[in-house]
Amino acid sequence: MNLKNKVIKRTDINTRESGFKLIILISLMVYFLSACSKDPIREVTTPPVNPPTDTSKVVYNNGVFIVNEGNYNWANASVTYIDNKSGLAYQDIFMTANSRGLGDVAQSMKISGDKGFIIVNNNDRIEVVSLKDFKTIKSITGFSSPRYIEFIDSTKAYVTNMRRNIAIVDLKTLTVVKNIPTPYWTESLVRFGQFMYVTCIGSFNVPTADRKSQVYIIDTKTDVIVDSLLLGKEPVSITVDRKNKIWVICTGGYDNYEAPTLQRIDPALNIVDKSFTFPVQQGVPSRLCMNPTQDTLYFLYNGVYQMAAGASELPATAFIPANRHLFYGLGVHPVTGQVFVSDAIDYVQSGKVFRCSQANGQVLESYSAGRIPGSFCFTASSKK
Amino acid sequence: MQLKETEVRANLVPGNNGYKKVKFDSLILLPYRDADLSTVLSQISTIFIKSYSPGSLATTSFRGTPANHTQVEWNGISLSNPMLGQSDLSQIPVSAFDEIEVLYGAAGLTKTSGAFGGVVNLVTNPDWNNRIQASVAQTVASFDNYTTGAGVIAGTSTFQSHTRLNYLSAVNNFPYNDDFTGEKVTQSNAKVLQYGLTEEAFWKLKDKHLFTARVWYSYDNRDVPPVVEGSATYYPQKMLNKTLRSILEYKLVEKSWNFSLKTSLVNQFMNYRNDSMLINNDHNCYTSFSSARFSWMGVKNLTIRPGVDYTYDYVKSDSYSGVKTRSTLGLYLEVAYKFNNHVKSQLILREDYLDGAFMPFVPTLGLEYKPLNKINLYLNANVSRNYRYPTLNDLYWEYWGNPDLKPEYDNGLEGGITYNYPSPNGKFFIETAVSGYYSWMHDMIVWSPLSYNPSVWKPQNVSEVNARGIEASLNLKWKVSKLQITSSNNLTFCRSTCEKTNSPEDQSLGKQLIYIPESTYNGTLNLNCWNFILGYNLTFVNKRYTTPNNQAYMPGYSLSNIIFGKSFNLHTFVISLQVKVNNLFDVDYQSVKNWPMPGRNYSLTARFEFKK
Repeated sequence: MNLKNKVIKRTDINTRESGFKLIILISLMVYFLSACSKDPIREVTTPPVNPPTDTSKVVYNNGVFIVNEGNYNWANASVTYIDNKSGLAYQDIFMTANSRGLGDVAQSMKISGDKGFIIVNNNDRIEVVSLKDFKTIKSITGFSSPRYIEFIDSTKAYVTNMRRNIAIVDLKTLTVVKNIPTPYWTESLVRFGQFMYVTCIGSFNVPTADRKSQVYIIDTKTDVIVDSLLLGKEPVSITVDRKNKIWVICTGGYDNYEAPTLQRIDPALNIVDKSFTFPVQQGVPSRLCMNPTQDTLYFLYNGVYQMAAGASELPATAFIPANRHLFYGLGVHPVTGQVFVSDAIDYVQSGKVFRCSQANGQVLESYSAGRIPGSFCFTASSKK
Repeated sequence: MQLKETEVRANLVPGNNGYKKVKFDSLILLPYRDADLSTVLSQISTIFIKSYSPGSLATTSFRGTPANHTQVEWNGISLSNPMLGQSDLSQIPVSAFDEIEVLYGAAGLTKTSGAFGGVVNLVTNPDWNNRIQASVAQTVASFDNYTTGAGVIAGTSTFQSHTRLNYLSAVNNFPYNDDFTGEKVTQSNAKVLQYGLTEEAFWKLKDKHLFTARVWYSYDNRDVPPVVEGSATYYPQKMLNKTLRSILEYKLVEKSWNFSLKTSLVNQFMNYRNDSMLINNDHNCYTSFSSARFSWMGVKNLTIRPGVDYTYDYVKSDSYSGVKTRSTLGLYLEVAYKFNNHVKSQLILREDYLDGAFMPFVPTLGLEYKPLNKINLYLNANVSRNYRYPTLNDLYWEYWGNPDLKPEYDNGLEGGITYNYPSPNGKFFIETAVSGYYSWMHDMIVWSPLSYNPSVWKPQNVSEVNARGIEASLNLKWKVSKLQITSSNNLTFCRSTCEKTNSPEDQSLGKQLIYIPESTYNGTLNLNCWNFILGYNLTFVNKRYTTPNNQAYMPGYSLSNIIFGKSFNLHTFVISLQVKVNNLFDVDYQSVKNWPMPGRNYSLTARFEFKK
């Protein structure tokens, strides 16, 4: 009996000791818990050096918007704004103004009046923002992988889509009112008088050989495709010069199906009246731009190239050599003619933008941007 | 849930000839039998799991390496898809195996080359008891998730059969806060239907011959959910996987030598459909793997183990032009030598002959030192070299693959201390291990734009990575009267940095790789008494950078899970009930940017077991 009692006592002590140690263990665990909070845990961005974060006094009427595509399926698109007056670059202004991200893959932006239209490709959405404060006025939906927008007048715009159809947007109600049926991927577009010239790449899930590459000519009064003509493979970029010629860059296909070309269309006859062929395997041209007087072409071809509209051959050397930069986006200031070119670096980290002299291509200023800075949009009253 | 009497068994395998190895036995895995491999590894191991969202991809980052540097194996055969070179851990149910063996860094070279991080081997072993045992378990969990598991284990002292079935139907319709609209929305398009069957037969003849046959069929059909802010229009994305694996093994055990032979055939079929990108592609892979090992222990303290491996991959994919194959012949030699009771060492040599070319020679040397006779303290160290051949996608993906890729290679160094103490009365057991590693990886393959044509991305040998870190573990088992306390704790620190850049604007030099946490902790405390179990698990993941220049990051988070259960013994039956609460404090977090994670959720499991 005595013995049994002793044993029980001993167990009691053991239990007490263990209880004490247990408390220590639990409190250790609770310590780790202190890292947990009730606020949503979301991505934090450390701002770049000298970050002007206060956008409350910024008016978006004199500067350059950089549309940062972001990574596909990462939903990290953004807009950077360079204010001409202060020379400062404001990062992620859409997020600042709207307290939410812009979305997944922002393709391009254009301005009509006091509104900015940002095309968010993988969200099938156009964010219409006020240029006063960059707050969203409306998110237009109903697209099928939208790419670019072009305004016809103050009431109507066309939007190209990767999947199918050209959408017609009513600028008064900010809705898609109609579609011009196209079976395939439409990409770049430019207005020429009453007509819209829209490049069509073909079905995007087939090899280049099976793609029908053409340009559609649409009567903007009737919204009917009135004509089309065949072009080189993958016509990605279109613009118009002062002599009323339309220029198109064709990459030749993602699988190097044929040599890339720069083609010129005479819209009076709707024929390709000139074609320049790029050397194979040296690069792929893209991002065709015009200078303010519309007599000089700019495009990316690893480096930035400059070419007079009347030139008889492609330029031999780069205007701004790439020098291991990954040039991705290109824009020419509509007033000053300065060249804006972006470096996507590795497509994952925040990119850079260089403002370069129109005279010799020298870098005048460099700015931090968001991820994959792809296109530029200049405000109407841009000066500098 | 029913625990056997305190058994002293080391999970942190001490010494091991200088190579680090950790085991999780069936007892530890018991509360996770309704879960998938990603859940269990993230809660009890030092391996970081990058999980996008419930029902989506879950991949590993082991010792600061990318996902394709962890090889997951099932009884010694690779579960990786040869096209991708990695496995999706969310598709592997814990109920399909008994034990997990984790081989760290160079230790993985005993299994395969190319796993710079290490190898996770999922093991089933027979126990040769004469009995029949049958079980059925049903789990009902939040968000319309149902898991069923059933198994029959029967056999005698010479023959054993294990049959297991698993079935999972998950809707994953959990609510989350949409940052886009600021509203509470419900996750859609995250359905999973998964089932599997394994049959394993073991036959022992004269205590000398062991024959094993295994078959595992699994089916997995799931929706690929959208990112949070990508939900304006959702175009269906679906992934279908059908896999059949079979293994035949023979082992002959003699006094001073033994011999083993293994041959396996695996068919992995995958279909990926993405209506937004108009993709609907089939990928069909066949892999045959055979391996022979001979162990000779003729001289005292010396073991020599030569071996040959042969792997043949045959892939027919809508994304490749034509059939692609790969044949790998591997020569293997392992020499283990015990100098005395204090010092042991092991040398491993590997040379692969792949598609007609010799691959880099892989030597590694490990050393174990036990300084004291009566104290279980072990010091271990190894130095290694490893290489990884590009995946088939890297080489052959139509238009984008790069057939000129070179193998990646790695030089590594590691060292550690393991200590354990079992109390003489068998009521207390403590074990702890601390190890450090340093590894420099060269010619790392990264999909990046071509310098002469940025619109074309190709995999290229462009990067260098330096990974170094510390892992510490502390496990306790303690029996106080009727109460049994077990606790396991893992802490890791890891710096895995980019050491080579190609662009003048690149700010990533010396910066931590994206989505690799600088530190993690997980701890489990289980209390068992009178067939009750109360368990608590805490998992902490520190911040993970989301940009190579480390400008943005996902903040750290900790998750708490509790488990409570009771089992009843009725003669030959055991009935157990178990309730789990996951994310106890309802933390609103994201592991990967813009992929939603569920808040607090529950599961209830009832298990019925018969044993005779």
